[in-house]
Amino acid sequence: METFLNIVIVGLLLGGIYGLVSMGLNLIFGVVRIVNFAQGELVMLGMYGAYLSWYLLGLDPYLSALVVVPCLFVLGVIIQRFVLQPLQNEPSMQIFATFGLLILFQNIVLAITRGTGYSVHSEVSRVVLSFEDINISLSRLIVLIMVILVAVGANWFLHSTMYGKAVRAVTQDRRSARLMGINVELAFMLTFGVGSALAGLAGVLLAPIYTLSPQIGGNFILAAFAVVVLGGLGSVWGAFFGGFIIGLIEAFAGYYLNPELKHAIWFLVFIAVLIVRPGGLFGIAGAEEVGLREQD
Amino acid sequence: MNKTDGQAMPAALAGNGATMRPKVTTFGTELGRIGAIGVFFAIFIVLFRGDPFILNMMAYTFLFAALSTSWNIIGGFGGQFSLGHGVFFAIGAYTTANLYFHWQISPWLSLVPGMILAAMVAVAVSWPTFRLKGPFFAIATLALNEVALVLATYFDGITGGPRGMLLPFKAGLENMVFTSRLPYAVIMFGFLLVSLVAAAWVLRGRLGYYLQAVHLDEDAARAAGIDVLKVKLTGMAVSAALTGIGGSLFAMYLRFVDPPTVLSIQDIGVKFLLIALIGGVGTLYGPLLGALLIIPLESYLRATLGGTIPGINLLILGGLLVIFALFMRRGIFGAMQGLWERRRGARQ
Repeated sequence: METFLNIVIVGLLLGGIYGLVSMGLNLIFGVVRIVNFAQGELVMLGMYGAYLSWYLLGLDPYLSALVVVPCLFVLGVIIQRFVLQPLQNEPSMQIFATFGLLILFQNIVLAITRGTGYSVHSEVSRVVLSFEDINISLSRLIVLIMVILVAVGANWFLHSTMYGKAVRAVTQDRRSARLMGINVELAFMLTFGVGSALAGLAGVLLAPIYTLSPQIGGNFILAAFAVVVLGGLGSVWGAFFGGFIIGLIEAFAGYYLNPELKHAIWFLVFIAVLIVRPGGLFGIAGAEEVGLREQD
Repeated sequence: MNKTDGQAMPAALAGNGATMRPKVTTFGTELGRIGAIGVFFAIFIVLFRGDPFILNMMAYTFLFAALSTSWNIIGGFGGQFSLGHGVFFAIGAYTTANLYFHWQISPWLSLVPGMILAAMVAVAVSWPTFRLKGPFFAIATLALNEVALVLATYFDGITGGPRGMLLPFKAGLENMVFTSRLPYAVIMFGFLLVSLVAAAWVLRGRLGYYLQAVHLDEDAARAAGIDVLKVKLTGMAVSAALTGIGGSLFAMYLRFVDPPTVLSIQDIGVKFLLIALIGGVGTLYGPLLGALLIIPLESYLRATLGGTIPGINLLILGGLLVIFALFMRRGIFGAMQGLWERRRGARQ
């Protein structure tokens, strides 16, 4: 029973990480209808941002969010404006472009750091909370709390503010939204910025947990895709619950089967969901096709 | 490509009256062009037969040109952006490596089981993933590549695991192992011709028109009576079988196979796509043109700057990918075609 409980907790903490990483990806997909292959690299940039602000300014990684998150917001706005906006009706070119950004960011960081692995230290990451036989590291717990806050916050923003309503209108029908006087391009830029900022936030919070390497984004992006496909494309709660499902699957598979096979297990789940319910558990049916229909 | 063809056709009709029928490029015409390309590169190989550096570069260029041409069959003509062709490449490589390593079966013979296995796996995994379109298909194939990497590392009985498989050096034609680089360049060149002919046969035949119809508008294609799934699966099988051959040849050229090399996303899977994009996605000769530019450029960058700035070759490739996606969507071949059309239009 204790092992079982331990596995569940490990799975939930891992799910928090995956959920947080997927949130930005899913937001961007849901609104802009772009699958951002470079999302994992934005997380990686967030991690290196945390390292850099610790190195240059001596900031604690958790405080460096104040610097890193706005920077990534700006980067996201720039990417949307100058790379993706010109490719709005070119789904296949969007794949090329975001994949190009993935390779570009990864290798810029590799060229600068020359492949040295860094780690970021924080007093917080040394704290481990123990309840009888169950140990929870505080840094992972913070991620879990943050993903809940982000999900609730995003939901509140989208449903209760005027800007959020505008974003939802754009999601539902670009053309009508434009007729209602909504600046669609601006909404896209802000959404991409927020999605990128969320990746940055995830990066900052994950920096004390992982050893930094330029390729680390690859670990997150596949998990994030699995989460998004499972939970539902474009749904905030889909990313939230999908993250926990994938985290739990990975924890159980890791304990009972073999940790090396986790990717294979994801993929089976992934394929099974695609066959049974291509829109994901929380997604709108047919969402996987809507993303490709021409809209302007 | 399709767009300009469509525009050129009515112009030809209008200009020359009803007697002149629109010109259709047939498989025979393409065979002539491929023959001309073949003669050109054959002369090139003969000229540089004594230079191992250039021969090595040519072998890689021909290999990747052929692989990208194979990818283009489903990725370009059919518009299914697979990022998982590394899997079929690896299947070819491991089939040949295993048969040679354990049973001393000649790689020439094991090309066939490698091809068949690659095509079978391609059909089996594509059947569910073809439900997805565009970026989602790309994600699924990307995931497939990662799974294959995990499995290849895990099942070390077949693949040698992370240590890889070093194939014994026994020079001889029957073992496809040579002391000189010249035969390898010739073999890769032969593979290039095979894949060009196969791609031309697909493009100028019924399957090619079906694939292009599916690419342009899947619903319309279905309404016109095309069995969309069957067409996609057939295109994928042909493409994967050719990619499998490439994997076998690569294994025999390197005489070393390990999972991170053959299943690398950046160095294998995405490279097919990148080369095709730079040359011209969906055009028959675009991938060849792309490979002629990219492979020498990359090895030059790696040789001159790779030591001082790690990842510089990929950095530039990533940049090129973004720039071409933004400004040269139809690649170099498409841009040249556009210029040609414009000049011809101006003359009329």
